[in-house]
Amino acid sequence: MKIRRCGTVAMRLARAMRLVALGTGAARAQRLLVPMDDAQTNHLKAYGLAFSTLKTGNKAEWFLNYRGGSFLLPDEPAVRRRAALDGVRADPIDDATVLQVRKEVAAGNMDAISLEKAPRIAIYAPAKSPPWDDAVTMALKYAGIEYTQIWDDEVLKSDLSKFDWIHLHHEDFTGQLNKLYLGFRDAPWFIEQRDRDLGTAQRNGFASIPALKKAVAGRLREFVEKGGFLFAMCGATETLELAMAAQNVDIAGPFSDGTPMDPDADAKMDWPHTFAFQNVHLEMASGVNAMSDIDGHQVNVAARRQPLSQFTLFNFSAKFDPVASMLVQNHRNVIPDFYGVTTSFTKATLKPGATILANEEGAPWVKYLHGDYGKGSWTYLGGHDPEDPQHNIGALPTDLALHPNSPGYRLILNNVLFPAAKKKPLKT
Amino acid sequence: MVSRARPVLIAAFAACALAARPGAVARAQAQSVLVNRAFDLEQAGKWREAITLWRQVIGAGDVGQGALGLERVFTQLAMEDSVLPTLDSLLAQRPTDRMLRGSQLRVLRSLGRDQDARKSFVEWTLLVPRDPAPYREYAGQLLNDGRAAAADTVLQEASRALGGTKALTIEVAQLRAALGLWTAAGGAWREAMAAEPYLESSAIYSLQAAPLAFRDSVRIALGVPLTATASVRRVLGSLELQWGAARDGWRAVSTLTTADSAYSTWSDFADDAERLGAWLAARDALTAMNRERPSPVVALRAASAAINGGEPSTAIALLASARTRLQPFQVRLQVLPLEVKALSQLGRAADAEKLVSEAGDNIDARTKQAYARQIAWGWIRAGEVEKARAALVGASGDDEDEVTAWIALYDGDLAKARSGLRRPADATTEVVTVMALLARTRSDSSKEVGAAFLALARADSAQAASRFERAADQLSDAAPLLLALAARVQTARRQEKAAIALWQRIVQRHSATPEAAEADLEWGRILRRRGDTNGALERFEHLILSHPQSALVPQARRERDAVRTTGATVE
Repeated sequence: MKIRRCGTVAMRLARAMRLVALGTGAARAQRLLVPMDDAQTNHLKAYGLAFSTLKTGNKAEWFLNYRGGSFLLPDEPAVRRRAALDGVRADPIDDATVLQVRKEVAAGNMDAISLEKAPRIAIYAPAKSPPWDDAVTMALKYAGIEYTQIWDDEVLKSDLSKFDWIHLHHEDFTGQLNKLYLGFRDAPWFIEQRDRDLGTAQRNGFASIPALKKAVAGRLREFVEKGGFLFAMCGATETLELAMAAQNVDIAGPFSDGTPMDPDADAKMDWPHTFAFQNVHLEMASGVNAMSDIDGHQVNVAARRQPLSQFTLFNFSAKFDPVASMLVQNHRNVIPDFYGVTTSFTKATLKPGATILANEEGAPWVKYLHGDYGKGSWTYLGGHDPEDPQHNIGALPTDLALHPNSPGYRLILNNVLFPAAKKKPLKT
Repeated sequence: MVSRARPVLIAAFAACALAARPGAVARAQAQSVLVNRAFDLEQAGKWREAITLWRQVIGAGDVGQGALGLERVFTQLAMEDSVLPTLDSLLAQRPTDRMLRGSQLRVLRSLGRDQDARKSFVEWTLLVPRDPAPYREYAGQLLNDGRAAAADTVLQEASRALGGTKALTIEVAQLRAALGLWTAAGGAWREAMAAEPYLESSAIYSLQAAPLAFRDSVRIALGVPLTATASVRRVLGSLELQWGAARDGWRAVSTLTTADSAYSTWSDFADDAERLGAWLAARDALTAMNRERPSPVVALRAASAAINGGEPSTAIALLASARTRLQPFQVRLQVLPLEVKALSQLGRAADAEKLVSEAGDNIDARTKQAYARQIAWGWIRAGEVEKARAALVGASGDDEDEVTAWIALYDGDLAKARSGLRRPADATTEVVTVMALLARTRSDSSKEVGAAFLALARADSAQAASRFERAADQLSDAAPLLLALAARVQTARRQEKAAIALWQRIVQRHSATPEAAEADLEWGRILRRRGDTNGALERFEHLILSHPQSALVPQARRERDAVRTTGATVE
């Protein structure tokens, strides 16, 4: 009888201990799972939440291909607070559930990538933006991700190694101001832009804007070569490549440097020193608003313009190709296409080493590219603004608060977090 | 030789024509009979018989009508492919016939045989290399199917083949709109209408789908107001009406001249505006019509629109002009009701009373009662409760009456007000506010609440705010709502310090009430206007974190984002 009573007390005690343990466990050992599938209420701000978590010295994990590329964050009051303020769905989960998720991740085409440190971000953009906006700047601002703005002077004179990631505002690195001279030469914003660039060129000892931009392109190539990550969209992709390949040849029209293009420019281009393209044919007519045959859509040449369709993200092996997988994490596989000065990249001009991340089924062009150069890497995304497919000059800027689940903008933000990942050697 | 031969030839042709004419007339009559019979059979749903008849129509020579008839009938029978052999054999004889080609393209596309349709289109273009018809037909059909990108390709081919798309302006304009290229669409429609002014309705239909963000671009592309033609102005007028910017629409058409058929445009515009409930735009258009061709009917419509639009003051002059042109009985029946309504809305109850009394015994008792209620409203609007009460004597005012309810409210009799405002005629902001208060409190009387609303009616906002604040101390169950009313009045008076104190009181003492979220939001907005961005952020974040289920959370998030990215706004 006594023994039995003792036993009962012991059982009660054990049960009480177990409850206490569970209770403290629930309060202490929880994590926040930020789902990135359709359950997420604000995909774009979720990236900001992950970024700010890293910024405060915490670590995070990125579950590639698990529920649209979910994040696992520490259950800190500050993280919860920010999630609530930003309207980001973050579900508290206990250790047992985390274990369950890990098992699931281990069993399928998924992987857990450790995010260690918030990347130091720079956006190459002029102090005064032109009358259209930069999608990356908008995305970072909306998501609440901090960045430093740099322009030609900083690129030429300061130490770029202090940044992990540089995004290029859609600049024309051939120095021809996107050939907008043809249609906007008298527009005040165009005159201001040209005067600003001429001033920078003179200040830095260059005779013309094309010469200045070539030097800037060269510095950006060095940045990647030494281990930096470079992300470019729209016209910056194509023109950066042209500028890097044209270090010793004049490819600018007479309206930008006073001299005509070298008639043999095509043959003199130095493609081994570019990231993504080769055997490109330049647009030799200075009156035609196109740079080369890199762009498949040629939006600004009415007779050549190709209609928009949609592009499909490739599905990579998360365990074998984590980098490519990170860049395509999304809750949608097929995304409506959008125009830009450069909308797409023709397959015929791609270097064999470039990884295609997204393409348009049956079309001779691709949309999204990635590759390595030296110790660093680069990513190109065609088009200007994923939520403004036409993007006409003078159109109202996109309000991202109306597109918190934009799959196109997610591609941009994948690139922001990508440098935060603890590097894993590629197995392929 | 030549000069002698020509008259002979002409005479020979004339003789042949005269000889052939009776035969041609008879053939045309026979065709017409056949066509009518075929249509009748089609109408009666006798498809098989109709097919036989349409074949006979083709045999009689009216190939186009016959082929279209066959296409329609076979489509009804879901046997579109059966018309293809007929079309093929007819096209072998008339390979460039537009109607036959169009029919063939339509049928092939509806059967999903896109490649064959494309082949047929290419074949057609090769037969008539400088003719825009194949491009127009094929692009138009693709646009109707919603296949804008495919239509775009066709028009680009047209541009290359014809050296431009001048002959395809309508299709280009439709395409631009279908592709969402709204600026280009606006420009294309402007060009199309310059050549073909009858395209106005097509332009309106095409451009009205422009999303809000692109409407300014469309306006600029249309060239309004500087270079726009009359048809473009008419298009913009209709577009603005459809887009909910009726006053802008009126501005677009108001400058039309007599040469541009202004009166008829204004009349159409007024009809549409009335139908859409855009009363003030309707008033403006009707007033302009009345100015152009004075008419008591138009003046009365304009006055009625002004009253419905909440601007009764503009109705008074219109009604006065109508009075002078109508018979006394018409004045009594048509003008007086509107005058009483307008004057009552303006709080000019004494003037309304005078007009009614001048009409004297010619008004029946029932109408008099209705006027008495409206006049009482007028007194209420002026805050003259006693006069309103006096006006109601003799009218059918009972406890259920809305006018009586307002008088009761001003007297502080909340119970009577509650029962009278159960089913208000109009759910105006004022009515909704009072109903919310009456539903919130269990008290049956409060002199302070009555005095507050009365002060509001008399436009004495300072007194109203202070009374609402005092009433909050009396009616504890409705205190946060009364404080919020006081704060709203203070905000409207730009007494921001006083408003902040009231919002703060709600946040701190009534944090679990529905007004608490509004208080945070409004408090934050005031701080933002005053340049205190940190303070504003604190308020918006407090709202989001403390009231996560509130409908105001998305608004607070937007305001928070705006503060973080752009800082303060100074009005």
